[in-house]
Amino acid sequence: MSDQIVESVKTAIEEIDKRGLKGDVYALKEKAIGHSIKKGELSESSGYDDIGLGIRVIKDDKIGFGYCVPGKEEKGVKHAIELSDFSERLDLELPSEKDTPGVEVYDEKVRDVIEDSEGAELTQKMIDGSSSVADDITPTRGGLNVSMGTRVIGNTEGLFLKEKGSSIFGSVTVSIPQEETSLQATEIGVDCKLDLDFEEIGGKAANKVDSIRSSSERLSGDHPVVISPYAITQLIGFGLIPAINGENVRKGKSVYQGKIGEKVASEDLLMKDDPTVDWGVGSGAFDDEGVISKDTPIISDGILKNFIYDLKESAKDEKESTGNGVRSGFKSLPETTHRNIVLEGEGKDRDDLMPDKGIYVDNVLGAHTANPVSGDFSVVTNPVWRVEDGERKGRIDGLMISGNLPEILKSIELADDRKKCFLQIGSRRLIIETPTVRLNDVTISGK
Amino acid sequence: MIDPNRLMEDLLDKGAEYCDIRKEEWDRMSVTLKDGEIDKISQGGEEGAIVRVLYKNGWGCVGTSNLDDIKEASERALSMAKSSDEFKNEETGLAETEIQKDDVKMPMDENPLDVDTEEKISLVRDLEDKINRDFVSSTEVRYGETVVEKEITTSEGTQVMMEIPRVITYLIITGESDTIQRATEGAGGTGGYELTEKAYEKVDVVTERLKKLLEADTPPSGSLPLIMDPSLAGVFVHEAFGHAAEGDLLSSGNSCLKGKLGEKVAADGVNIKDDPTFKGYGQFPYDDEGTKAKNRVLVKDGVLNDFILDRESAWKLDMEPNGGARAEDFRVKPLVRMSNTIIEPGDLKFEELIEKVDKGIYAKSSSGGQVSTAEGTFQFNAQEGYLIEDGEIVKPLRDVSFNGFTLETLQNITGISDDFEAGIGHCGKGQTASVSHGGPHMLISDVTVGGRE
Ligand SMILES: [Zn+2]
Repeated sequence: MSDQIVESVKTAIEEIDKRGLKGDVYALKEKAIGHSIKKGELSESSGYDDIGLGIRVIKDDKIGFGYCVPGKEEKGVKHAIELSDFSERLDLELPSEKDTPGVEVYDEKVRDVIEDSEGAELTQKMIDGSSSVADDITPTRGGLNVSMGTRVIGNTEGLFLKEKGSSIFGSVTVSIPQEETSLQATEIGVDCKLDLDFEEIGGKAANKVDSIRSSSERLSGDHPVVISPYAITQLIGFGLIPAINGENVRKGKSVYQGKIGEKVASEDLLMKDDPTVDWGVGSGAFDDEGVISKDTPIISDGILKNFIYDLKESAKDEKESTGNGVRSGFKSLPETTHRNIVLEGEGKDRDDLMPDKGIYVDNVLGAHTANPVSGDFSVVTNPVWRVEDGERKGRIDGLMISGNLPEILKSIELADDRKKCFLQIGSRRLIIETPTVRLNDVTISGK
Repeated sequence: MIDPNRLMEDLLDKGAEYCDIRKEEWDRMSVTLKDGEIDKISQGGEEGAIVRVLYKNGWGCVGTSNLDDIKEASERALSMAKSSDEFKNEETGLAETEIQKDDVKMPMDENPLDVDTEEKISLVRDLEDKINRDFVSSTEVRYGETVVEKEITTSEGTQVMMEIPRVITYLIITGESDTIQRATEGAGGTGGYELTEKAYEKVDVVTERLKKLLEADTPPSGSLPLIMDPSLAGVFVHEAFGHAAEGDLLSSGNSCLKGKLGEKVAADGVNIKDDPTFKGYGQFPYDDEGTKAKNRVLVKDGVLNDFILDRESAWKLDMEPNGGARAEDFRVKPLVRMSNTIIEPGDLKFEELIEKVDKGIYAKSSSGGQVSTAEGTFQFNAQEGYLIEDGEIVKPLRDVSFNGFTLETLQNITGISDDFEAGIGHCGKGQTASVSHGGPHMLISDVTVGGRE
């Protein structure tokens, strides 16, 4: 019943209007289900229906914020007005542009999964897939989360936008018991439409763990590191993405401050924030402040092009919003946040990236300890394989890699196997579409 | 909203073994002052309910923020439980818990909802003013309050109402010398606005820490004795030990404590409890299944004595539920969570601990780390460190990190001081829970110390 949210947003805007004030109203109606995997089988099922409004009021150039549920709009507006008194003055200009690009982010089939309780069956497919490789491989953790929602944003400048979206996230961790500990591997799949192959997600995880049964000799020093899309997502998410955020740049918390127009990466590298990609998990026709989405190149042909901004940050920095105002729910104010980061390169065949002597990293632990300002990182890798003559050999235990992300970009090589990846960082979701990459400037060491 | 009891009768008629409904009403206010400017200020309210249904061996739960939709939510929960049961082989059940009828309001001197916004703004401004700006390059002061009213009704007849207020303040400051250093401190708890008084004590603690960090050296590495301050000792027992004592991790084989009940897991004189009745940030009268909260003595004189249990994990482990079920809000089902995790003081003086160390580290406050409950390993970063030589504190250290095996480390506790302090935290396990952790100073004879990993 998305009419309820449309009506509620209109009511709240009227409440602001009739007091002669400016402001915007964001509403989210969400329906979600989740199923978890434990000890080789489906464990629990749960779901929620959520609806709520975030109200931002501008009074004397000061912003106040309140939130409420439908039916309590007047109270929400009052909260926002009361709090505006205490804010700093800021010349925030609300958008009025209404022409949105057509972006595909909603799949009807997702609704069927939610309404007809089909999630348990899809979760079972992941379990079946992961159990089919060998008898001693069990799916120990993981699950499926499916959600759909309607986002509405309206403001006192006459803007009123509405969009439906959907998302599916599946993950499974499999393990083989060993004497002391166990061998483990994880596979994830994330999309907005229901064309993930759930059996394949399970199967991939199982094949991975199956291939680390035998161990190889340790390797240390400077050797090429080929790293999976999910692992590079974690490194970039914690060690590089903060540096392209306009607020961090303005405050001097970015290595890229003052470097627009300079060569910062390999000529082949394109890094963009593009929420207009169809079926991008972070895509959408407009951001959570009603700014129309557009493709923002961050690094193009190796040159640093742009940082990202929301309305508040763009007002402070006298820039245009890049459509990067994102809320982590109706209870939160928008913040400058990445939306649908895409990494592209020359696009070599993945096998051609494999070195004569080096390692292949499937996953890393502890990426959150990366330094968000300098981009320095040092992480544990697991699983990780030794690579010789372009071939994956046995696993290596307790291996760490360290380096500096901005430095790494200067000699990064990218494959052509782009994959949608997802990472939860606090209350924010990071979506990156990236291929497997080869890093030529990292140090490998024992733990 | 429809009467929960009528709704549940209907679910039982349709074959449910058990069901419960938890209704919640939240009020929240928060303000963040960054570098002297109000960066964020927000206030709001919400309400909702969650229906949880057990059908044979399958669980289904649906939360909704539309109370008029509760009937539909309950039907979806039942159908989810049924489809869940279809794919499930493992048996499940709920251990018995006493039927409760109660209405509790947690005590507070001053309801934060009755305090003017002006006063809260002057609180954060005041705290900011008191920070010595000589060497601080940026400041962040946060205030947050929540008041929740809950009503838990079960198909077995429990009906518990409670009101829980919580208040916190946070100070985050950074400074620059040859590196950027950051220091944080928080204060607060379960109760009213009066708890903000404690924040003033933290201003000196946090600025003094940053000052030390800016002149600090990097630590030596290798196998060394290490003394944890009360704050770090608390975080250590919470992270490395407490999580491993959670019933769901134990029953799913993800804990290094599995099968060790009654065994010696720590040095003599080590006593660890998780106590929801302790006056801390993780305090509550009943858990989110309506089980009365009680103190859990996890380790008694070095022997593993109890776990943290909800009704399902208690059933699986053949133990008694002890109020371990907590949910972040009405959107989600309860999980097994800690409350206030505490290592009890011993009888040594802090100075006596220092005197015991020839060459080692004194580490204060945690700045994160990671733990594997299954493998029983941990890695922590301390916010602040000192080098100890010949029984004396010699100089400040930064980037102190240490790692080891949880069970080995608990056996290596060779000294516990007689002082005590508890801190506040937010524990993440898919959902966030407000917790306290505390303890005395604690000497570990041997851990692996390194620079920050
Ligand atoms: Zn925790």
